Amino acid sequence: MNDPEILNINVPLLTRVEGEGALDLEIRNEKIESLQLRIFEPPRYFEKFLEGRYYYDVPDVVARICGICPVAYQMSASCAIESAFGMSAHPWIRSMRRLFYCGEWIQSHSLHIHLLALPDFLGEKSVIGLSALYPEVVRRGLELQALGNDLIALFGARSVHPVGAKIGGFFRAPEQGAADKLLRLVEKAYPDAIEMLRWLDTLSLPDDEQSFVSVALRHDSEYPFNEGRLVNDAGLDISIESFESVFIEHQVAHSTALHCLLKGKPYLVGPLARINLNRDRLPAEIQDVMGKLRTRFPSKNMFHSLLARGLEILFCLHEARRLLTNYRPDPSPSMEVTPREGIGFGCTEAPRGILWHRYKLDDRGRVSNARIVPPTSQNQARMEEDLREGLTRFGLHKDADILRQRAESMIRNYDPCISCATHFLDLSLQRKARRELRIPPLRHRFHVNDWSAAAIIAVGSPHAGDTLAWDLCTSMSSNEDFNRLQAKGLTLMTVDRPGLKLLNLLRNYRHILIIDSTAGVEQTAATPQLLQVEELMMEDSVLSSHNLGITIALKLAIQLKNLPEETFVLALSRANEQAREAVLSLFGVG
Amino acid sequence: MSRLSLAVHKFSSCDGCQLALLNAGKDFLELTRLMEIRHFAEAGILDNNAEVDIAIVEGSISTEADLPRIQAIRKHSKWLLTVGACATSGGLQALRNMHDSGQWMIDIYATPGSIDSLETATPISAHVPVDFEIWGCPITTEALLEALKSLMAGVSPIEHSDKLCIECKRRQQVCVMVTGARPCMGAVTRSGCGAICPRVGRACYGCYGPAENPNTASLANRFKGFGLMDDEITRRFWFINSAADGFRQEGETWDKK
Repeated sequence: MNDPEILNINVPLLTRVEGEGALDLEIRNEKIESLQLRIFEPPRYFEKFLEGRYYYDVPDVVARICGICPVAYQMSASCAIESAFGMSAHPWIRSMRRLFYCGEWIQSHSLHIHLLALPDFLGEKSVIGLSALYPEVVRRGLELQALGNDLIALFGARSVHPVGAKIGGFFRAPEQGAADKLLRLVEKAYPDAIEMLRWLDTLSLPDDEQSFVSVALRHDSEYPFNEGRLVNDAGLDISIESFESVFIEHQVAHSTALHCLLKGKPYLVGPLARINLNRDRLPAEIQDVMGKLRTRFPSKNMFHSLLARGLEILFCLHEARRLLTNYRPDPSPSMEVTPREGIGFGCTEAPRGILWHRYKLDDRGRVSNARIVPPTSQNQARMEEDLREGLTRFGLHKDADILRQRAESMIRNYDPCISCATHFLDLSLQRKARRELRIPPLRHRFHVNDWSAAAIIAVGSPHAGDTLAWDLCTSMSSNEDFNRLQAKGLTLMTVDRPGLKLLNLLRNYRHILIIDSTAGVEQTAATPQLLQVEELMMEDSVLSSHNLGITIALKLAIQLKNLPEETFVLALSRANEQAREAVLSLFGVG
Repeated sequence: MSRLSLAVHKFSSCDGCQLALLNAGKDFLELTRLMEIRHFAEAGILDNNAEVDIAIVEGSISTEADLPRIQAIRKHSKWLLTVGACATSGGLQALRNMHDSGQWMIDIYATPGSIDSLETATPISAHVPVDFEIWGCPITTEALLEALKSLMAGVSPIEHSDKLCIECKRRQQVCVMVTGARPCMGAVTRSGCGAICPRVGRACYGCYGPAENPNTASLANRFKGFGLMDDEITRRFWFINSAADGFRQEGETWDKK
C-alpha cells in the first residue's frame, strides 16, 4: 500500500452506455499490465430460444435482444430466412426496409450523440446538465431522436420492438397521409441536421489516431443497409455467406459476450468504419457537406465517430426524403412465404455495425439452429486494443480520475450496446500490484537441496484452452537448463483434473510448483501470476478454468498438515516465453 | 405535489423499457425538474445505493450477483415499481426455465465455469415485495408517466388488467380473429399497447402478459380449430411472458399433448 507506484481506483458502474459492464485496468510503473473490458451478465440464450420456433416468430424474438436496435435484428433475420426460403424482396419492400432502417439509425445515433456522448466533450455528467447549458442543442437532438422513432413507428406502430415487419415484408403498407406527414417532418429536420453536424464539427475532440482495420458491408451503388459484400480497407471482399471462414468468435474468461476476430486480429465495425469504406456511396449532396467539414474522412481517430454518426443522420434524412417523396402504398406489402428446408444468411448494418445471422430451418420452417453475431461483440477486442494504445499515449502517469474519464469516453466512441450481449459493466481502474511475477527480479525462489523432493505438477484437461500448463511442460522438456534439473531428480508431471488425488501427489514432495491455466481461450497478454497457498485461499475464484478443486485440495492439505514446505501455484494465461522464464527462475535457473 | 426522488435500475433485459424515459424527449427533461433522479446509469446519473421514494426496476433476476442487489434496492426504496415483461414476469428469457440452461451454456461457451448464471430467469416479485407493476414488452412512455404522476399526486397507480379485446372495441378496430381467422392472443392479454398488432392487421402475440381472469383453455381450443399444430399453440403462450400465471400452464397443457 505504501508503494508509490501503486494506486487503487474504483468506479462501480460505467454510465451512458446501453447496458452495463466493467473495465479492469491494471497500471504499474506507468505501464498497462492488463486490460479487460469485462462483460459478466449471463447470456440470455437467444440462439437457443429460437430452436424449435417457427420462422414467423423469429423477428419478434430477436427484436428482444436489443431495445435500441430491434429493427436491425428484424432486418437481419428477415433477410436470412428469406434467403433460406429462396425469396428475394420486391423493389417496394426493399425500399421500405431502407426507410424503416433510416428511422433506427436516426433514433439511435441522435440518442447516442446527445444523451450519451456529448456530456463527455462539454464537461457535463448527463444530458440534464447539458440541457441547462445548451438548451437548443438538446432540443434539436431530442427532436431528431423523436423523428427517428416516428419513422420506425410508421411501419412498426411503435419504435421499441416494432410489430409491423414480418418474414416476407410488412404486415401493412403505411397510409399515404401518414407517410406525407412524415415527409414534411423530414424536410423540416434536414437543415437542423446540417446545423447539428456543423456544430459538432466545431467541438475540439481529442486527437488520437491509431491504425486499425474497418469492416462494413459494401453495395454496388448504395450506402449499405441490408445488402452488400463484406469488405475491409485491406482488400477483404467476401460474400456474407463466407463470414464464418474469416471471422472467428471465441470465448474469453472475462466476458460472456464472445469476442470476434478477423484472421486473429481486432477490427472496427460501425459508423466510422462505414464512412471510411463507403463515403463514395453517399449522395453527392452529403459528400459535399462532408467535404466542407474540418474533420476529414477517412479517419483513424475513433473520436470522429461522433461526426460519422452526425453524417449518417444527415444521410438517413436525405434517403428518407427520397423514399417518402415517391411513396405509394403497395397493395402487396408482403410476399407469399413457402417454407423449405435450408440454411440462410443475413447481414445488415445495424447502427453499431454489421449484424450477422445464420439460420438452419426444417421443411416446416422451424429453426433447428441459429447463430447471431452482434456488432458490439465484434468491436470488443478492438475496444481493448484502442484503450491499451490510446491510454498509453494519453499518459498513464495522469491523475486517476482523468484517466478514468478518458477511458470511459473512449469506450463510448463505440456506442457499445452491451444489452445486445446483455451485460453488466462496472469500471474499475486499478493501479495496483496484484501478485504478478515480475521477471526479473523474482520475489520467490525454491530452496531445494534434494531435487528428488521437488516436483512440477501441470494441471489441465484436454478441452480447448485448458492445455496451457501441459503445453508449457512440453516446451520445457526441450530446455537444456531444465533437463539438468531433471537429471538431478526434479519430477515433471502432467495431470488431468486431479481433484483430491492431488493430495496423494503432494505427500511425496517437499517443494511443489502447481501450474494451472487461469481460463480457457484467454487472449489478453497477461503475465503469469505466482501465488502462495495462503494467497490462493483468498483468490480461488480467479483461478482455473475447471472449477479446480485445486483450491479445495490445497485447503484440505493444510487441514491435514500435508502441505509441502514450499508450495507455489503458477496461474497461466499463456504458455509463452515469459511463463517458461518464470518457471526456470523459480528454480534458480536462467 | 412533493418532489419525489427516483432511481432506475437494470437487471437482465434489452434496455427497451428504460427507453420509455430516454425516448420521452421534452417530457423526460420535464420529469427531471419534477422529480429528483438519483440513479439512472444510462442517463449518466450514478448512485447505486441512493435512498429514493421510487425505484424503477427493469429486467429479470438471472445471476447470483443479482440477488443481493435487488434486496438492497428494496431496502433503499419506499416504492418499488417494476417495468416491462422481464421484471414483471421474467420476460422472454424465462423460456430458459423450461430447459436445461446448464446444457445450453455448455453448448455456447467453451469454458462455462467462468459464467455466473442462475438456472432460471425470474421476476422481481419472486425475490422482494413489489408495490406496482407495469406490464408490457416494451412498456409505453404514457404508462410510465401515468404511474409516476399518480405517485406524485399521492395515489396508487391504476392497474390496467382488462383485455386487449376491450381496447380494440374502444378503437373500433375490426377483429382480426373473427374476420381473418388469425390466432389472436387479445382475448387473454392485457390492454395498454394501443392494440397495435390488430391495427397493422396481425394477431396479438401477448407481449403485455395475461389479463385478469384469462380463459386461456377456450382460446387455445379456438386456435386448434384454426388448424394450428399443438406445438404452435404451445408457443403462442410460451413466448414473451412464458412464466406468467395462466400462460405458463396453458403452454404446458399443449406441450404435453
